[in-house]
Amino acid sequence: MGISIAFGVMILIVANSFSRGISDVIFNRVVRYVAGQVSVAFYEKNKIWCQIFRDKERMMKILDPEDPAILDADENVGIFSRAIGNGKGENVMLIGIDTGKKISERSRIELEQSFKVIDGSFRDLADEHIENPAILSTDKARDLNVRKNDVIRVRFKNIFGQEQAARLTVVGVMKITNVFMSGVIFLELKNAKQLLGYQPWEMGSMSFTLKQPKRDAIKIADKLHSRLKPGIARFVAQINGGGRKERAVILGYFNTDEAKKRIRDNVLLEGAGKDALGKKGVLIPRDLAAKTGVSAGQAIRVAYDNKFGGKKTEHEYTVTGIIQPKDCLSGDVVLLNEYLFYDTYYDDLPGNRGPPAYVPDPSDPVYASLATEWVLLPRTKTTDDFKKKMRQITSKNTKAAVIDVATMYEIASDVLKLENALNIITLAAVLILFFIILIGVINTLRMTIRERTREIGTMRALGMQKDDIRAVFLLETSFLTLFSSAAGIILAFIVMWCVSGIRFEFQDNPLGMFLVDGRIFFMPTWQGIAVNIALIWAIALLTAYFPAKRAANLKAAEAFRHYE
Amino acid sequence: MSNKMSNTWSITGRGCIVFTVGLFFMAFVKPVWASQLPSIDEVLKKIQYNTELTTDASAKVVLTQQKSGQGTKVVDMVYYRRDADKSFLIVITAPENEKGNGYLRVEDNFWMYRINTRTFQHINRDESIAGTDAKGDDFEDRKLTELYQGALDSSGKEIISEAVLGKIPVYLFEIKAKVRDVDYPKKIYWVGKDNFLVLKEQSYSLSGTLMQTAYYKKYTMVNKKYIPVEHLYIDEFEKGNKTIVEISDIRVDPLDDKIFTKAYLENLSK
Repeated sequence: MGISIAFGVMILIVANSFSRGISDVIFNRVVRYVAGQVSVAFYEKNKIWCQIFRDKERMMKILDPEDPAILDADENVGIFSRAIGNGKGENVMLIGIDTGKKISERSRIELEQSFKVIDGSFRDLADEHIENPAILSTDKARDLNVRKNDVIRVRFKNIFGQEQAARLTVVGVMKITNVFMSGVIFLELKNAKQLLGYQPWEMGSMSFTLKQPKRDAIKIADKLHSRLKPGIARFVAQINGGGRKERAVILGYFNTDEAKKRIRDNVLLEGAGKDALGKKGVLIPRDLAAKTGVSAGQAIRVAYDNKFGGKKTEHEYTVTGIIQPKDCLSGDVVLLNEYLFYDTYYDDLPGNRGPPAYVPDPSDPVYASLATEWVLLPRTKTTDDFKKKMRQITSKNTKAAVIDVATMYEIASDVLKLENALNIITLAAVLILFFIILIGVINTLRMTIRERTREIGTMRALGMQKDDIRAVFLLETSFLTLFSSAAGIILAFIVMWCVSGIRFEFQDNPLGMFLVDGRIFFMPTWQGIAVNIALIWAIALLTAYFPAKRAANLKAAEAFRHYE
Repeated sequence: MSNKMSNTWSITGRGCIVFTVGLFFMAFVKPVWASQLPSIDEVLKKIQYNTELTTDASAKVVLTQQKSGQGTKVVDMVYYRRDADKSFLIVITAPENEKGNGYLRVEDNFWMYRINTRTFQHINRDESIAGTDAKGDDFEDRKLTELYQGALDSSGKEIISEAVLGKIPVYLFEIKAKVRDVDYPKKIYWVGKDNFLVLKEQSYSLSGTLMQTAYYKKYTMVNKKYIPVEHLYIDEFEKGNKTIVEISDIRVDPLDDKIFTKAYLENLSK
């Protein structure tokens, strides 16, 4: 019986450690690098690959990566590309990584295990004397017929859809265990951003690695989502029409029928053509029109200082309507249709310096029509809803930038389903084995008590009470279980050590993504072991209780008459 | 002897005078041949005028794509176009695995239709057509003058000159993108001097790398407009790749409004 219990404990610990190891690999090594545990994505121009936010400093303050639940925060900059090596071409994914960023020790170890550089070093990516240093996998190096110091030519479209070509210098080759990442070429983040068309003050989407992803992913995502509510987009500009300059606040309005109707209902529109609020709509209040000497059909020049780059932006627009607001807005507000507004607002982010200017109040009747800094997509719970949301990004007719917060449960649900399936299979196998062992334990216990019937009779004859008899067997079972469990723990660690010593070569096999450095990864925890022991002990006591009770109820005389 | 000297002086003196006057004129009067170079904007407008269709149009298009190491792919399609509202419809008729798929653009909406799922999906204009290098924006009408302007050299002069392409005298000029949403920020054109038709076009990436060379080998005239019916695109980045586009059966009859609807595309594939 002791051997059965030891064997059962061993199986339980090994199975749970294997299951936990799979979960750890999936959450912290696969999902983390493929999709991120929590991601905040920024899209412009209704394009999935145009992932840009124009004010990095501001966004990092909003997202607050110093939250204690967050282990790491990484900027996602990457693009599909066509690479030409030495006589061979391949499709690759260029990804920027920040080699100068401080990361936790745990992240550093996981990174080195997932991307083992066998020739060169990640630090070489930051070498400014080399033209676009790059590190690629052994598979890609073979496919492109390149080695260290060779040059790869790459062709891709930048985030704005413009054709771009560049030369990358191979500074390292790495062995990758995650089959999803085998097509990756790493560049220093700064270089990648430059190639893709980002300005130094702009950023790509963000992904967050959490300390407790299963527990905190949804909570953190909801928290970030609540912080990302947009304000009204606006900029303060100089209006020049008819030779006279005036200061004005430029607001945009959405190009939806509802938004336009709300404006029409709350302003008096004068001198307006049929399509005054159309895509080229420029509405100027009567007072401002009088000050600048412009009327509908005439041109105005709008000039403002940019927040970055020390530039000034100037545009010429044709006034499509003169408005007289009825208890809304203010007398120095110029309204532009979002098709005009966002084109300038994002490309040349306004500085809005100088004296305080009008800010629309949420109680303003036309507030809901006003263009916001961005559009925040609602949180979704399921993958299907997430996919529908992604399709809407390309179909949305708004020119506004779109921000989406998602967790791995929505983005990488197929991978997580695989994890659930593996856990269920492991659990089923353990339960079946356990059931077999339990039957053995019960039978052994019954046989033991049967064989000791005369002994029980002797104890009863000597004056031991029923409770004492029962306690004897239960205590015996307890101690046997505990000592057997200890043996089982030792056996389990021996088995895990032996199995994890076997190296598998799963180069192109998706199962390879579950391995760490080619080996099966077990993750035993003392808490888990304690729970397993407690479970075994409880089951053993339960199975021992009824035979022990039956033994205790035996009459001494009957017990003495028993012969095997 | 004095006569000879006198004659020599006369000839030499006249020569000097003519030479000096000639220099004077060259310094202050622009030579006739230099004033014959048009501005790039003028050329672009003429190109646009020559090729801009003002009516509906339909045609058959055959795309033959050769990729190094991957063989040849031929895609046949029917193309309907209405520039008045920026609409077009492409229906794939071959190969068999793409037959019935389509692309519909109406104003700012662009959809891809998949016959096997009978679903429409919103896509962007740089979506590949039937897996080829042709993109949605290759089929739409966008005014050249709205997208590009003449490039200037270091002294501020437009980069335009005369040249010869084969035996054809051409204007050779460089243009750069005015807007961000074009594939190639820089292009070089060879345009026929006589007819202002584009004969050759080189397209460059943002970093100045030559990415593609296009040859417009044959034009046909339809309703006093020129349509290039045979073009060749050579991939300059990855040698060995090229695409040939052949357009035939061009008609400019008014098209039924129902053609530019999802229902029409769905019914075609039934």
